Amino acid sequence: MKKISLLLLFLILVNCKEDKGLPVKHQASNKENPSLSYAEGFSVENYQDFKVLEIKNPWPKSDKTYRYALVNKEVAPKITLNKDEFDAILITPIEKIVVTSTTHIPALELLNVENTLIGFPDTNYVSSEKTRALIDEGLVRELGKNESINTEVLLELRPELVIGFGIDGNNKAFDNIQKAGIPVIFNGDWVETSPLAKAEWIKFFGVLYDKEKEADSIFKNIEADYLEAKKIAQNVTQSPTVLSGAMYKDIWYLPSGTSSEAILLKDANANYLWSDTTDKGSLSLNFEVVFDKAKEAEIWISPSYYSSLEAIEKASPHYTKFKAFQNKAVYSFVNTTGKTGGVTYFEMGMARPDLVLKDLIKITHPELLNDYEPHFFERLK
Amino acid sequence: MEKKYTYPFLILIALLIICFFVNISLGSVSITTKEIFNSLIGKADNYIIQNYRLPKAFTAILVGSGLGISGLLMQTLFRNPLAGPFVLGISSGASLGVALVILGSGFFGGIFTTLLISKWSVVIAASLGSFLVLLAVMIVSSRVRDTMAILIIGLMFGSITAAVVSVLSYFSSAEQLQQYIFWGFGSLGNLSWNELLIFFLIYLTGVLMTIVSIKGLNTLLLGENYAKSMGLNLKQSRLIIIIATSLLAGTITAFAGPIAFIGLAIPHMTRQIFHTSNHKILLPAVFLFGAIVMLICDSIAQLPTSDYTLPINAITSLVGAPVVIWLLVRKRKMLF
Repeated sequence: MKKISLLLLFLILVNCKEDKGLPVKHQASNKENPSLSYAEGFSVENYQDFKVLEIKNPWPKSDKTYRYALVNKEVAPKITLNKDEFDAILITPIEKIVVTSTTHIPALELLNVENTLIGFPDTNYVSSEKTRALIDEGLVRELGKNESINTEVLLELRPELVIGFGIDGNNKAFDNIQKAGIPVIFNGDWVETSPLAKAEWIKFFGVLYDKEKEADSIFKNIEADYLEAKKIAQNVTQSPTVLSGAMYKDIWYLPSGTSSEAILLKDANANYLWSDTTDKGSLSLNFEVVFDKAKEAEIWISPSYYSSLEAIEKASPHYTKFKAFQNKAVYSFVNTTGKTGGVTYFEMGMARPDLVLKDLIKITHPELLNDYEPHFFERLK
Repeated sequence: MEKKYTYPFLILIALLIICFFVNISLGSVSITTKEIFNSLIGKADNYIIQNYRLPKAFTAILVGSGLGISGLLMQTLFRNPLAGPFVLGISSGASLGVALVILGSGFFGGIFTTLLISKWSVVIAASLGSFLVLLAVMIVSSRVRDTMAILIIGLMFGSITAAVVSVLSYFSSAEQLQQYIFWGFGSLGNLSWNELLIFFLIYLTGVLMTIVSIKGLNTLLLGENYAKSMGLNLKQSRLIIIIATSLLAGTITAFAGPIAFIGLAIPHMTRQIFHTSNHKILLPAVFLFGAIVMLICDSIAQLPTSDYTLPINAITSLVGAPVVIWLLVRKRKMLF
């Protein structure tokens, strides 16, 4: 069995551009096809003996589509698949995985498969408690600092699968890992714009672990929670004006109206002053414009990495002229960190948009959620 | 001052004043001329004019003229048209200091992280960096007589800096790298009045030292042997010129980031237009030219009426380099 799976794992191919279709004997059965309501970056097709996972948009403006065949380990010895049709063939459920972003950790924990994690780059960033415990026990191997993975250690670990993420598809470390026969799947959750679409990527992990049903119900709960919070927020007629981001030198960097930050603020019924911008990525605006538009803004959310009002004031006297600063209505998530210093918002925020939304409602309409304790955001002192 | 230069200087001064007012009136937010005038004379309070555009315009003048002057000093001292503040390794030293502060936390951890917040730490690091490189260059230059050798040593310091920066970048987080890259874009609109005052005092010291060495500079142009035969204390003159350059280039890099092109190109533009190598003429002309070009570049970088600003560093090269090429091609011959 092990030999077969290793053999199958070895069959990695670079990008099959032509759509060769599937052999006739593998008719799509389409039952239990996990319906995706928000996510656009991946899809799953069910066939009789296997599933096909397609990753469509692993990084912005990517024109590549990756196809992976997922075969349950019980069925694997019995079927043959044409390796040319897929970028990789994987045996499910995955037993040894390496993920490369802290945003992948909550999904593993929610599905109760965090014990399959055998390596992670810069483990100090991980804050989620269950995984943190595994790391402290030495069960998760350190794979080097930041985005540059120590390829040698990774090859020695021999995971069945590496979940990577790419800014533009040029990552030499991932290329080397693939050449060595370890499949790398690019996770594109961060490319999605809607917060619920990002969260729906838990279904991507669900299918890798043959846990589609669990993933579905976890997501349904998050979705219901989110939509309910959104509904509560719509009950008030007055929405406070919101400023976001901060300057570096005299350029103010802030999320555009299409970003998930802006969508969350809109769903929290706050009036984000740049909600009508349509730029991709973040806005970089001149100080003058931001000052002119937002000096009277009531609330200032996420002032870059600043962790106190004092630090903000030190960085530039301009900041003190904003009403939100004068009223100490500045909120940030940077002070909420895990045991080893990782910012929990960066890790959990994508997987739990319901909590982020509630945090924002608590900030913008505190009267709506009286008993709620924010998970990420804190008023800066 | 010779009479034939009176008109060109009057024109340049007029241009500087015009550019200064154009620079202040243009920006992303449109402000009426009346309001601008009123806030300039203190009749009205406009935060954007008084605390953003005015300090920015003054910074542009200091940066442009200071870089131009330090470029002129380097070109004369090394008798090399390619010389500029970057060549002595002064700017590289400043970059290294900034890299250590911004990127160093990934490498050293601990106290560096807390320093990150303060803008002054960047300024101090940059000044310290350029000063240390300068010190090293001076020690070497006291052993090596040849100015060419000093030039090459300066370039070597530049390479060492680049290498250290790339090692530091490797160990840095994305946010730190982003900060360092943003610093590299250069910025004029980042100084408060207090910071501007300190900037100005150091700048003034550098300029005064330059004025003192005008005679030495003119003599140096004729060759070091000639300068010696004229009874010029070569060692002392060289020392003063190097310190002046490092003060100017070091503080400018510290406060405004590494600004490309100006230091190299302004002296050439000035020589082409004024047809002289006399530093009594060149020095004020370079001052005016540098300030004017920087004000124009900044006005363009602000992309008036749009909400965006381009990195000043890109504009100085994009706007300035073709001008120098055009001047050189037109004259077919380089004045030096």
